[in-house]
Amino acid sequence: MEINIKHIAKLAKLSIPEDKISKFETEMEDIIKMVENLPEITSESALVDVNNTMELREDVVIPSSPRDEMIMNAPQTAAGCILIPKVVE
Amino acid sequence: MDKLYSLSATSMKELLDKKEVSSVEITKSVIDRIEKTDKEINAYISYNFENALKQAETVDEKRAKGETVGVLAGIPVAVKDNICVKNLKVTCASKMLENFVAPYNATVVEKLYANDAIIIGKTTMDEFAMGSSGENSALAIAKNPWDTQRVPGGSSSGSAATVAASQVPFALGSDTGGSIRQPSALTGLVGMKPTYGAVSRYGLVAFASSLDQIGPMARTVDDTAMLFGAICGKDNKDATSKNYTFEGYTDSVKGMRIGVPKEYYGEGVNPIVKEKVYAALETLKAQGAEIVDITLPSTDYALSAYYIIACAEAASNLGRYDGVKCGYSGNRTAGLDEMYESTRSEGFGDEVKRRIMLGTYVLSSGYYDAYYKRAKVLQQSIAKEFEDAFKLCDVILTPTSPTTSFKFGEKSSNPVEMYAGDICTVTVNIAGLPGINVPCGFDSNNLPIGFQIIGKKFRESDILTVAKCYENTVGGFAVKEF
Repeated sequence: MEINIKHIAKLAKLSIPEDKISKFETEMEDIIKMVENLPEITSESALVDVNNTMELREDVVIPSSPRDEMIMNAPQTAAGCILIPKVVE
Repeated sequence: MDKLYSLSATSMKELLDKKEVSSVEITKSVIDRIEKTDKEINAYISYNFENALKQAETVDEKRAKGETVGVLAGIPVAVKDNICVKNLKVTCASKMLENFVAPYNATVVEKLYANDAIIIGKTTMDEFAMGSSGENSALAIAKNPWDTQRVPGGSSSGSAATVAASQVPFALGSDTGGSIRQPSALTGLVGMKPTYGAVSRYGLVAFASSLDQIGPMARTVDDTAMLFGAICGKDNKDATSKNYTFEGYTDSVKGMRIGVPKEYYGEGVNPIVKEKVYAALETLKAQGAEIVDITLPSTDYALSAYYIIACAEAASNLGRYDGVKCGYSGNRTAGLDEMYESTRSEGFGDEVKRRIMLGTYVLSSGYYDAYYKRAKVLQQSIAKEFEDAFKLCDVILTPTSPTTSFKFGEKSSNPVEMYAGDICTVTVNIAGLPGINVPCGFDSNNLPIGFQIIGKKFRESDILTVAKCYENTVGGFAVKEF
């Protein structure tokens, strides 16, 4: 099993420094080798646990957290909004 | 009264109820103990001493006025640093959340407060609860009080270390694949992963949402049960939580059928661990339990299924760390994609990256059917096998960890070897069952060994009954003089 670590990292929005790529690649190959050990699927399964359904609560309006508390951990804010780098020219 | 810190929560409660001691005295004793020993043990990421003393004063006043107090009134408890306590940092031991302040309380924390418990601090852990040794913490690496050259296990490493070093009587941990039970085994504690849905996950930073559960860790069965009783139950903020009343437990296993699955006693399990676990079975048999041989054939595939499902969910859950809404933010000057990449590459440690990449890989186009779908089907077979086994027995007894505690660095360079240590615990999360670690002796290096009791869904009563019977029969569990 050959792993293209650069491709996977890109999908995961990670960048792996050049000097660590071969280490990550070897480790990932070992891990994939471990998890490959799975039996073939023989039954048609819906993959839904019918005995473990979630109970939905009623859709009632309740007070939510104050805006300033919700954005207090944001790296950059202005005028009660979260700032991100410019994405359009 | 000296050494108040070393008392069990149950003994503290007795003294507090009889007004022989105040919560302020207990809290001061605990703080003093932590200040004296934590330089060596390193169990905490942050302390909450000032607030704790204020809380203790309030609880003492309530008691003095004759007001009704909660079941944990005045007793100090430590909380794993992936559980939100409003206005305190919740770091997940990650650079990503190093400065993140919780804007709300987790439901379990609301319940601790409602029961008048004293929150003493936030314990360290493997980053984002990913690890089995505590070594993956970016902020504080806890040590095992039984041998400080060795790991306390993980991922609830700090919660295990602080309780084992008698800094506090009990602590909250979280368990996705063994993160409460394995460190409890490695530090000689009782630690319980409740049934999936027994305890609300609201305010627990998500790793693998379909497997995560919060649970108690303590030095005695009664303390474990006391903390569990205070935190369990339905919560409207967690749609997977269930209506559930904890029925309590007894100390008699007479007539109880204990299943022994041969798959859990294989070559990978250290001989001394096997020997002590078999001896524990004999002890329970002598107390009137019936031993039944059972089989759980899919166990061989459990690690694969676990790492696929857990990492797939982790890759998705950790997608939220993008440098925008909260936490560490990387290079913000080059563009949006560059910000995402630098944030995540600089904010996450290597183990977290490995698991995100594994999750990304198994969910990626062309691989989904081969990995994730097969793992989910296998999850159902594993759950079904447990269901069938529970027709023949009431509880199942296995080793908790195949080895005792290991030295720092011994396994950290080999992820697969580290993952293999989770073999006895992951099935319990995959099947959503309750499991508890019970200490059962020591190896030749005087390192603790534990066995695991697995119960039917929402039958915490059964596994606590077996644990209590064993504890009484052996005359209690050893506590490390530290």
